[in-house]
Amino acid sequence: MPDSLGSAAGFQEGNTMTAINAKSKKLKVLSSLLKESLGEEPVEVTNSKHLNGVAAGYKHGELIIKGDAGDYLGVLNAGATINLTGNAGKYIADNMTAGTIIVDKDAGLGAGMYCYGGNLVVRGDAGDFTGTMNKGATILVVGDIGAEAGTYMLAGDLVVVGNAGENFANYLIRGNVFIGGDWETLGNNTHVVPLSEEDIEQLRALFETYEVEAPLAEFKKIVAASEKPFYQ
Amino acid sequence: MSVVGAFCVSVNRELCINAQMPGKCAVCAEVCPYGVYALDPFTGMMHIQNYNACVGCRICSEFCPVDAIRINPAESEYLSRFPWTLSTIEEIHHKAQTGDYLLSGFGTQQPTPHFDTITIVPSQIASAAPRDKYREECDMEVVIGEDTCEKPLRLKLPFVWAAMSYGALSKEAKLALAISAAQTGIATNTGEGGLLPEEAWLSRGYADPDFTQKEWDPGGYLIIQWSTGRWGVSADYLNSGDAVEVKIGQGAKPGMGGHLLGAKVTEEVARVRGIPEGSDALSPCRYYDVQTIDDMKHMVEFLRDVTDYQFPILFKLGPSRPYDDVSACIEVGADAISIDGLVGGTGCSPNVVTQGVGIPTIACLPPAVQALKDRGVHRKVKLIALGGIRNGLDAYKAMAMGADAVGFGSAAEVAMGCRVCYACQKGNCPYGITSQKPEFRARLDPVEAGKKLTNFIHACAEEVKILTMLSGHNSISDLSTEDIRAMDLNTAALTGLKLVGYERPLSMWEDGFTPAALTRDNGK
Repeated sequence: MPDSLGSAAGFQEGNTMTAINAKSKKLKVLSSLLKESLGEEPVEVTNSKHLNGVAAGYKHGELIIKGDAGDYLGVLNAGATINLTGNAGKYIADNMTAGTIIVDKDAGLGAGMYCYGGNLVVRGDAGDFTGTMNKGATILVVGDIGAEAGTYMLAGDLVVVGNAGENFANYLIRGNVFIGGDWETLGNNTHVVPLSEEDIEQLRALFETYEVEAPLAEFKKIVAASEKPFYQ
Repeated sequence: MSVVGAFCVSVNRELCINAQMPGKCAVCAEVCPYGVYALDPFTGMMHIQNYNACVGCRICSEFCPVDAIRINPAESEYLSRFPWTLSTIEEIHHKAQTGDYLLSGFGTQQPTPHFDTITIVPSQIASAAPRDKYREECDMEVVIGEDTCEKPLRLKLPFVWAAMSYGALSKEAKLALAISAAQTGIATNTGEGGLLPEEAWLSRGYADPDFTQKEWDPGGYLIIQWSTGRWGVSADYLNSGDAVEVKIGQGAKPGMGGHLLGAKVTEEVARVRGIPEGSDALSPCRYYDVQTIDDMKHMVEFLRDVTDYQFPILFKLGPSRPYDDVSACIEVGADAISIDGLVGGTGCSPNVVTQGVGIPTIACLPPAVQALKDRGVHRKVKLIALGGIRNGLDAYKAMAMGADAVGFGSAAEVAMGCRVCYACQKGNCPYGITSQKPEFRARLDPVEAGKKLTNFIHACAEEVKILTMLSGHNSISDLSTEDIRAMDLNTAALTGLKLVGYERPLSMWEDGFTPAALTRDNGK
């Protein structure tokens, strides 16, 4: 497929892009099909909602998951680009170390937990515990985010364009949390600071990359009050 | 439970070089990590300045060139003023002064029902005749995941090294465990603190990262731990071993996650774990990404998928409700289940948890075995007993109670030179086992310590072999509860074993096991 054609265009023209229908397939079968077909071309997967742990630990390739997905989509992702056109189940991008995962609609509980790297973009809302124990990934939620988001973050960025629930960024250790809207309550060991020039540049670049429109002026930054909080 | 002031340092002044020639020797002050000794800069005389700081690690007597130092329990420890013992008083003072609860390392110090009150019944004329240890073979191999994965774990001996993380242990200690696993054909475990690159090749018996130079036969296995803190975990990490262990809990602190205090998070530990240097690594107590048993099932599915269906999936449980917990592990698809008893060790945990939480190892095994039997998978899904296994005798008893293999954790540390001072959490281990400080780590040579561990495993294997064969078996998988007896009522009541003399289980065990009684809601 020529580079000039986007993946969607390629699909419409019915050219060489591999399409896999996961209907009533087991995870092992789907994964062996995926491993065979992942390469330069994007691979499209349909009807995979009944499967959990699809696209686990891939180092390369581009996947388009049509429709909704089950739990643990892109778990341990190590470099693949995954675009989900529907809603994500629980724990999308769990323990991702590299790559990009984009969810066009909403994500369930615990999106982007335990990540060491990579990018997760949720264009809709995300559930509770999103970005918990993030250790280096960039997580962007365009809609609202649930409670306990960014709990015990050790590195990386969590960017929320909408509002956040209770106990936001609880026990933050390191890393940055940016929010465009409001939070219900702020968690322990947090400190609100004004955005620096670099922060604004960073956010602008992030929003440009993923074509997100957000009022930069309204963003607030939350950092850890102490890197070594006192645990009782 | 000793806290402070439990030890008395006595120096024989007739032998002591410093007492004879002040200023000529200060080894004790140099090696003591806790500042018990102090050298007077003017007179050159050695003083014992702080008895209370002594944890009883005995590194001073180890290094004393003339063997002049003795560490004995302090006089007050003999005075029974129960329940207001000296250590209780000191503990209350500590809390009153600092507002902190006590942390402790290594494991429980409470007397706990253990394997000692179980005896082995040898073969005589009525049962199968004993086997000849010297001239006959004994099958000791344990295979994990034979029917479920492409590369089952074939342990040459029924032992594993218990999961101890890099961070809790020094690099040298981790490498020693890997080397000895390679020398004995057993498995070592990464623990939850990420993977040291060297572990991957040393544990398989290779001396180089390219796996070309085979140094040790027969070569062992590496179990990769998947835990709640997910330190240093990636797809490559999971694929760098031979099995994946899902840690649910551990014996010394079931219900809590790992504690690694900032003092032990050096630059290298921080790199391996992928966290900032000097920050406390406090693992969550549960998997944030598992809410239901179905989630756990899916987790096992994706772990198998990520590892290309090659490796067995193990589970590690703390001592809680063994019947129900083991049943749940079988349900989610475990190939082997490690169950860690109250006597299990820890690098650091709150003192109350180490001392007072969990059930003894011997009480974990019967319900766990029953759960396996009720589901028809006993000896198929392997059971690994952990928690205070000290020698071949304990190992035999655990296997006769229904375990397939045993794990050594604390015993491995002792084999490397640990003197059990219960101060692992301080990061000052003078033997270099649980310290990250270069001066202490320099005292532990991985190859030498690995050899000690190998010797220990071989000795224990011989012990198991002797005991197995004298009870009329030539395979450890044939051991059963018929081969052991409880020596007192308490043990018979705890384990359901036949009581010596009475020759049958206590009447309370007549109906066998009633699992409903073990569930959280008491069967309602």
